[in-house]
Parts: sequence; C-alpha cells; structure tokens
Amino acid sequence: MRRSSQLREMRAIEVKNVSTVYEGESLPAISKINLSIDISELVYIVGPNGAGKTTLLETINGLLTPVEGEVFVLGRNIRGKAHEMRREMGYVPQNFSFDEWEPYTALQVVLMGRFAKLGLLSRPSSRDYEKALEAMKLLEVEELADKPIGKLSGGQQQRVLIARAIAKEPRILLLDEPFSNLDPRSRRRILEVLRGLQRKGTTIVIVTHVLEEISRDANRAVFMMDGRIVMDDRPEAVLRRIRKWTS
Amino acid sequence: MDILIPLYSIIIQKALIGCVLAGLLCGLLSVFIVRITLSSIGYCMSHSAFAGAALAVAIGADPLFLALIFSSIMALITGPVTDRAKLPLDIVLGIAFSLNMALAFMFLSFTKGPFVREVLSILWGSLLTLTELDLQILLALCAIFFSLVYLFWKEYFTILFNRKMAEADGIRTRPLVYAIIFISGVVVAASLKLVGGLLVFTLLFNPAATVMQFLCDMRKIAVMAPIMGVFMCSSGLLLSLILDWPIGACIVITSTIIFAFSVILSPRRRRRGSFKR
Repeated sequence: MRRSSQLREMRAIEVKNVSTVYEGESLPAISKINLSIDISELVYIVGPNGAGKTTLLETINGLLTPVEGEVFVLGRNIRGKAHEMRREMGYVPQNFSFDEWEPYTALQVVLMGRFAKLGLLSRPSSRDYEKALEAMKLLEVEELADKPIGKLSGGQQQRVLIARAIAKEPRILLLDEPFSNLDPRSRRRILEVLRGLQRKGTTIVIVTHVLEEISRDANRAVFMMDGRIVMDDRPEAVLRRIRKWTS
Repeated sequence: MDILIPLYSIIIQKALIGCVLAGLLCGLLSVFIVRITLSSIGYCMSHSAFAGAALAVAIGADPLFLALIFSSIMALITGPVTDRAKLPLDIVLGIAFSLNMALAFMFLSFTKGPFVREVLSILWGSLLTLTELDLQILLALCAIFFSLVYLFWKEYFTILFNRKMAEADGIRTRPLVYAIIFISGVVVAASLKLVGGLLVFTLLFNPAATVMQFLCDMRKIAVMAPIMGVFMCSSGLLLSLILDWPIGACIVITSTIIFAFSVILSPRRRRRGSFKR
C-alpha cells in the first residue's frame, strides 16, 4: 500500500478509468480514459474537433466531475478537493476573446492568476506584482501591462492569458489550444518558455488539433478520437500513425 | 432662497440621507448585477419584496419587515435552485418574478378595507415616510456590503472578470455569488421606500451602466458607481422638490436621463468610424 501510494505521489496526473458526461447528454464526451503523466513531462493531447480533448483537460482541472473513475493530481484524489488542487494548476482556456471595452488591463489580468494562492483575506504584495511582470516579460508582453486587455490583438491576448497561468507558479500547466492566433515566431517563443518551465519541474499538458504544432521535444503525444485514447506514444510515432491513417 | 427651505425640514433631511445610503448600496450592487449579467435579479427581488409588502398590508403587519423576509428567502433559494435545476440564473429569476407578482396580487385581493395609500407606497415608494429605523437598516447594510466587498475584493475582482476562469484558478465563486444575490434581495427590500417595488430595479442597473460608458478600469468603476448612485438619487429628490412631482418617479427619470447623456457623450461612440491603432 505504501509503495503504491509513493508511486502515485511521483505522478503529476493520474486519470483512472474516467468517463465524463455533459449535463443533458446521454453519451459520454470521454469514455474510460486511463492516462498517467509524470512530473516534468511535456505531453501533447491531439485529435480532431470533438475528440474530447477539452473535456479531458477540464476533468483533470476539476471543472467537470466524471461520472465514473478517479482523477489524481500530485498524488491526491481531486474529488471534493478540486478548488484546492486547482491552486497548483495553471489553466489557459481555448478561444477566449474580450470585448473591446473590457475594464481590465493586461497586468491586472495576469496578476489575478496569483489571487487564488494568496489566501482569503490577503492582498497582493509587491512580490506578486513582480512575478506578474516577470511572466509578462517571458511572454514578451511586458510593454502592454497598462493597456486594456480588450484593445490587444488576439495573439497578444493569448500571450497575456498564458502569462497569467505562468504567474501563478503552478506545478502543472494545462493549455488548451494555446497556439491559436499566434504567428510561428510567437509559437516558438512560447515553446521555449514552456521548455524552460519543464526543466524547472513543471508538468505541462498541451491540447491541440493542429499536428504541425506538436513539438518533437515533447515526451509524449496522446491521440484521442471519439472520446477515447487511441494512441499514447512518442510524438514522432503518433504523427507517423496519424499521417498513415489520414493518407 | 425658497428652493432651499424644504431642506431645513427633518423629513427632507431624512429623505436625503436615505437617498445617499440607498444610492451607495444600489450603486455598488449595480456593478455586480451589470457585470455578472444578473439583470433579472432586479426585477425578481423587487417583486418578491413587493409580494412581502402586499402580504403585510393584507394582515396589518409592517411592510418593510415582510418585504425583507420575502426578498431574503427568494435570495437564499435562488442560487441553489439555479444550480440544482442546471438552468441559467435569468430563467429561474424570470419564473420567480411571475410567481411573486401572482402572490402580490393574491395578497392584495385578501386585503379588507381601504388600502390604497399603503399599496401605492409599496408600488411607487414613500421616501418622505422614512423612519430612523429605516435609515439605521440602510446604514447597517452599507457597512456590511462595503465591508464584504472590501475584504473579498480580489476574489470579486476575478469573478467580475470571468467567473469560469476564477473557478479554474481555484476561487470558490459560489458562496461569493450567493452572497451578492442575497444582499441584492435585502437591499431591494430596504430601498422600497425610495422608489417603490416597481421601479427600484432601475437603480440596480443605471449607476454602473452610466459609469461604464466612461471608465475602463474595474477599480474605478467600483468606486464611481456608488457615487453615481448617490448623485442619481439625490438629483431625483431635488428635482421632485423643485417640480413637486412624485419622488420615486423623479429619481428613476433623472437616473435614466443621466444614463442617456452618458451614452451620447461616451468615448465609445466617438471611437466608431476612427481607425484602430
């Protein structure tokens, strides 16, 4: 028992036989998913639209509750503890856009990423501001700090949201289609930043439906289709298989 | 100056203090109602308070007390019912709105004897009948609500940005949003004497909607909206004194005119047709 719990502690994410059904639906969006991701791994989750990639990410993050199975994050079952565990996870949602008159600056949006970890009655300190600006500098959006988020381009907004997740200093980063709206140079820059975080011990999970975005530096790629994991292997093996299927 | 003479009256002074306190409360609340799109809360809470007040008239009880009870109960159950029914909050509030109106008319139909003045005071407000107790309740509500927002400002700041992202960050949004719904019910009931049950919900939109025409910083909006609420209520009261029109209607008309001017003068309108940088 002790050995298995120690083994479990070494894993960043463990999804055991998980199925998730959306309210009002009869069929599961993801079905009997088994997935283990170790600490400091960089894993891509790929698949066509509707494969269940976002559903899986939101189930890991505790935003969706599975109807069967369990999710363990950093060795702890998130059932009943989702809010607590989310403080260790940075999450970047997909397809987020802001109204032109959204009354928040880019710095405020990034700084907010640290609030959940501060404790209920605490106020952000100068250290929190420093960490927020550091994250913005990494993503090369520091000069946009005082600009309203709604006035930025789609790519800039995306980088601000990634900076928000990184400013939280999470142990796990979950990114849903982070490279949409980004040009190739920005994409490379973000991958460099993510690899740097990975070297410091952050576990990174990236969801994408664009095969060209998969970096061969990743530890693994997980291919999903129709709510199930079809393949879980090295990126080049997964890419080869997908290209074979689609040719 | 003849126009200042009424201000020496204790009744008018109390009405003015009531305007300031209710304006502060409704102004700050309007920020949440507009941002979290809780627009139906205004209608729902004001009509549940109206139903409570109508029951009070029917049984000869204090209208404010039962108005507070009804709107508090509605506010307490709305959040959990919405979560349980898995429906958008606006739909649940819309259903509750019809129920409250039906209850109000039913209670009024039970009322024996002349009740016109009591009913009209609930419908249209009766600011000049504000008592010390009414002002104390408004003051206590101000203290509680402003303290709540101050203490949990960073959580509310994040929820006002995007509730789902706040949840994803690890912030427990549900109790904080329920608290806003509850407070809105109590504030509406306590503000009934200001503009009445049929119009009080306008004070839950207009201050924030006006201020947002000019400001692009949530912190400044949260500070200016209560001030705008005070300005709207006080201006309406003064207009009513000058023109000898019903106070509640004047407050609503004044606040709407101020909002209309804000839309006309807003920098948002001037941006149209200009190139984006």
